[in-house]
Amino acid sequence: MDIIVCFFLFAGLFFFTGGAIGILRFPDFYSRLHPAGKLDTLGLLLAMIALALFNLHHFSVGTLLTSLKMILIVVFIFLASPTATHAIVDAGVRAGLAPWVKGEERR
Amino acid sequence: MKIIGLIIAILTGVLLLSATADFPIFGDPDSPASTHLSPYYIEKTMEDTSVPNIVTAVLADYRGYDTMYETAVIFTAGLACFIILRIFVREEPGDRLYRHVLTGVTVRVKEGAKLPPSDDFERIDTMWTPPDLIIKTVCRLLIPFIQLFGLYVIAHGHHSPGGGFQGGVILGASIILLAISTDLRTAVQRMREKVDAILCPVGVIIYAGTGALCILFGFNFLDYSALAPLLHVDPITARSHGILIVEIGVGIAVMCTMIWIYNILSSGGKYDEGL
Repeated sequence: MDIIVCFFLFAGLFFFTGGAIGILRFPDFYSRLHPAGKLDTLGLLLAMIALALFNLHHFSVGTLLTSLKMILIVVFIFLASPTATHAIVDAGVRAGLAPWVKGEERR
Repeated sequence: MKIIGLIIAILTGVLLLSATADFPIFGDPDSPASTHLSPYYIEKTMEDTSVPNIVTAVLADYRGYDTMYETAVIFTAGLACFIILRIFVREEPGDRLYRHVLTGVTVRVKEGAKLPPSDDFERIDTMWTPPDLIIKTVCRLLIPFIQLFGLYVIAHGHHSPGGGFQGGVILGASIILLAISTDLRTAVQRMREKVDAILCPVGVIIYAGTGALCILFGFNFLDYSALAPLLHVDPITARSHGILIVEIGVGIAVMCTMIWIYNILSSGGKYDEGL
């Protein structure tokens, strides 16, 4: 059980790290939102699954309920995080920000 | 005049700084707060109020005055925004724009003319931009859950972190989310300015009125154990219920003030379309 939890936690950490590096390294506004939106969602999914499993160590109705609440958090993040990213991109397009093309300087 | 003001400000600053020297060191276990006050709250909260969350009990019961004026300050902030920024423009003379919701056709109505009363048309401004379908749909899906969570946070303040302020902010944010995801007119239709402006002081009055009710029963102001005969419970449980009542008042006041301030700021005081 602990091995599974550790696996999920480290997998989540891997994606979070990738997201953080991506935000720093990508060249412009739109591409930077790509790791911020996607990798954070997946990292959170894995980390939350790990925590929900860890919480079930002492199995009872109470801990099951807490784990269910954690899974609910994931569901809402799954809905809200991509929508928020989409909203930011939408705002960028409406404000007239041109996307970066190859050969241009980072900004 | 400016120099006098400067001298007064510097003198006050020096006075306050010299006063801080007399304070006990941060986290000092021998300070009066840690030797008398904290142990009392930690030991007696459960006996006195039957509220497991000590923070809530201190906030709304032991230090009830403080929280009441905090609520009044929030209400005052909303009122100040209203008085300073709100512009009452008369219905601007000229043509008005209406949009047919189903087809997206925009109709210009000449001055003086009227559209037949119908739900299919919504009033729009010249700055109107179509709301994004994805954002609109997801927000429509999420807002009920956000509001449910806000109510949960208010009602569950006795047992977990939360209470009137936090729950009120969540409830207010849900309406603001509606205003962001569609436009201000839609949000204002759900929460009219008059309702908003009336509910703001109502929240404060619920709080202060609960305190005044305690006086009527012959107890101190905000001593909720006075409500025991009214609620048909023992005095200790009455204190717990009294906290809930004032938390609801705080929640209403905070929610409406947030919506009010957002609406006024985002539309520049005109209350038309907003961002």
